[in-house]
Amino acid sequence: MKGRFSLLMVVLALMLALTAVVPAFAQDPIEIPVWIAFTDDSRLGWAQDKAAEFNAAFPQYNVTITGYPNYEEIFTSTALAAEQGSLPAIVQWNEVSTQIARDSGYYKAIEEALGGRTEVNGVPFNLDDIVASVAAYYTLDGQFSSMPWNASSSIMFSNMTYLDAAGLDTPPATWADMDAACAAIMALDNAPQYCWTWPNHGWFFEQWLAQQDGLYANNGNGRDDRATEVEFGGDAGLAIFNFLEDQYNKGYLYYSGARDGDSWATVDQAFGAQEVAMAIYSSSDTTYYTNMGVDNGFEVVASFMPYNQEVGWTGNLIGGASLWLVNGLPVEEEDGALTFLAWFTNTENAADWHKRTGYIPLRNSSVELLTSEGWFEENPNQTVAFDQLNTSTVTPATAGALVGPINAIRGQITAAIDTLLLSDTASADVMAGLVAEANAQIEEYNLLNQ
Amino acid sequence: MDPIIPILVVALSALAGAGLLALIFRQSARTMTVAALTGAMAGAAGGLLFMLPLNFCTFEAERSSLDFSFGIVLIVLGVLIAVLLVRWLLSALFSGRQLFSSEHTPGAFKHGWLAYFFLAPTIVILLLFLYYPAIDTFGLSTQLVKLGIPRTAFVCVSNFTSLVGDPKYLQAVGVTILMSVAIVVFSLGIALTIAMVAYLPVKGARIYRTFLIWPYAISPVVAGIIFLLIFNPLAGIFNHFYQAVFGVAIPWLNNPAYAPWAVIIASVWKSLGFNILFYIAGLQNVPGDLVEAAAIDGANAWKRFWSVVFPMLSPITFFLIITNTTYAVFETFGTIDTLTSGGPLGSTTTLMYRIYDVGFTNRDLGKAAAQSIVLFILVIGFTLLQFRTTAKRVTYGA
Repeated sequence: MKGRFSLLMVVLALMLALTAVVPAFAQDPIEIPVWIAFTDDSRLGWAQDKAAEFNAAFPQYNVTITGYPNYEEIFTSTALAAEQGSLPAIVQWNEVSTQIARDSGYYKAIEEALGGRTEVNGVPFNLDDIVASVAAYYTLDGQFSSMPWNASSSIMFSNMTYLDAAGLDTPPATWADMDAACAAIMALDNAPQYCWTWPNHGWFFEQWLAQQDGLYANNGNGRDDRATEVEFGGDAGLAIFNFLEDQYNKGYLYYSGARDGDSWATVDQAFGAQEVAMAIYSSSDTTYYTNMGVDNGFEVVASFMPYNQEVGWTGNLIGGASLWLVNGLPVEEEDGALTFLAWFTNTENAADWHKRTGYIPLRNSSVELLTSEGWFEENPNQTVAFDQLNTSTVTPATAGALVGPINAIRGQITAAIDTLLLSDTASADVMAGLVAEANAQIEEYNLLNQ
Repeated sequence: MDPIIPILVVALSALAGAGLLALIFRQSARTMTVAALTGAMAGAAGGLLFMLPLNFCTFEAERSSLDFSFGIVLIVLGVLIAVLLVRWLLSALFSGRQLFSSEHTPGAFKHGWLAYFFLAPTIVILLLFLYYPAIDTFGLSTQLVKLGIPRTAFVCVSNFTSLVGDPKYLQAVGVTILMSVAIVVFSLGIALTIAMVAYLPVKGARIYRTFLIWPYAISPVVAGIIFLLIFNPLAGIFNHFYQAVFGVAIPWLNNPAYAPWAVIIASVWKSLGFNILFYIAGLQNVPGDLVEAAAIDGANAWKRFWSVVFPMLSPITFFLIITNTTYAVFETFGTIDTLTSGGPLGSTTTLMYRIYDVGFTNRDLGKAAAQSIVLFILVIGFTLLQFRTTAKRVTYGA
């Protein structure tokens, strides 16, 4: 017993000595902790593989990637870490947290950190190459603020078995086309239970608003000055409400009753089970939706999100998230973080990320690379989101709204749509209630962020 | 705020305290004087109990009349708490009893401090992780606090008073009451029926009793997911069969008339095992000779159950009512979140779910804190009410 104890002591002493001696020989790499809001293998796994590649190429840095289950939890964890002074070097926040990120003081604008440099540690940092609509979203006060990583747009997936049977060669492009297509599809002998569905998530309301060049909030969508009230209560917003209500009342639109984050899965299920002919969804799952058809024996065609033909189409906006650089890092760590951001989103990696997930290729150079590889010819559905964003006109409306409590307002919007579809309340009354609630949220937010 | 208000509050609450206690201890002049004096001090302290931390904000000119009334209620509440405390102290003092018995019960520690020493780890953990956050909630409830925003603002009692006219909050109160009652009634009713049958001496009883208790081991979230697959309006298993037989589908999750029932069914199913377990245990303790005697006296099976077995089970039933109510109010959260997320049209938004919605979806911690205090008071009140009413009918055997 005594012998074993002394052996243990010797081993312990050796280990202690080793930890003390080893750093003296090798330069300790600078730790660069990165937090992202994914836990699945295709996204967190991809990021971790890339980090390992980066660490091998730049041995002076050690990037470690931690995954969080969703945007909400990474937001909460970041807020708590900030309170305790233990923020990592890079954090991924979703697009609607941009205004809070701007107000919080946790982060430093990428362009400010670069200070005019066009490369860090020999890695080129080219911000002009970023796709225009993405760059527009993340440019605050004329400065590129955070590094976009996963960007998507809302598009439509159609089950061509039903569309072909109804004599439609291409998916409908406008609300009126959609209505006509549904009339034809629902008249089929083997019609699906419903014509189309969409996730009741606030993002789609924002998309339809931007298509009509309708502002979400005042002061240039919160981009000229802090937004003080919402503006979606006007004609553009009401048109969306009336379109949804009409489609629901005609029995074309399937509404699962699920809202916000829960709503996505119900659309997957309805489309996969072929109970609907069309689904408006995020382009982030283009690969998944295309394969859903392959697996179940029907052709899936992706197309632009249908728009209001009365007003015309201005453009769509992005969704997704960006990588924020934490403020107040030591110079070496900040340079390391910038090096990683530049490398992580370079032409090849952005193209690879697109292929892996279906998020749009962020760089024009990535698009060229993918085109030369013949990727888009083989995967026509994958070009839709990029084309939709690339042909969009950048206006304050399509650049996206910067509103502090937009996350809470999204919940109010989906609750309002719930009321609109499931009760007899008139759309104008639902909208009036929604505007009042949303303005109260903005008022409270602004009270705390003057 | 008028500077006279603090003085007025102290004077009036002292007067009320003195009057109340003098009235309680009016049996002799001596007790009455002592009671009135201590009552005045206690009343003054009670009046300040809530008003000092709030800094008399409810009486500021810019507050609403509702805030003003709420301030009065808080003062009255504070005075009552102080008066009850003093009443307990004085009655012990006047009757000559000692407040804390110093008699040594066998097996007690000789030195009291030794007991506290051993209790210290538990007390420290409770203080740190239960009492401190609980008390902090009161402070939070008077603030405008948003998660992720470093600045906060003092909003007096408006987090509470804004609930009064809020139709969504009132709807949540109604939903909570209806769902809790339904869950408790159906869960206990079905559990007792199943327990009666499962208690019959049949071959293999032990095995199927084990199966019956199984759902209890499943988490509320998993229960929600299971029923989500069953009740899905488009591709659910339930409607697949129901439609084959009756030709129509039940819109379980997207119709406010059916959605609460989906949650109730899932919750009842989930809590059934626990209740069956207790009822089987209870049935084993019903003396066989009592039932036999009733049978000899000519009581039929129903009569034997209703007049003998059921009253003998009343302590178990009472215990289960309390635990199931707590379950229905607090623990159905996981089921609701996975099954309906509070919708459609708010028809499954219970008070507990609403607190989560306000606190985490809207990131409004102050309002969530205020609502959790209200829920806490409601549940305490309801439990006390049950002890006052139902407990009287409970027989703990001869």
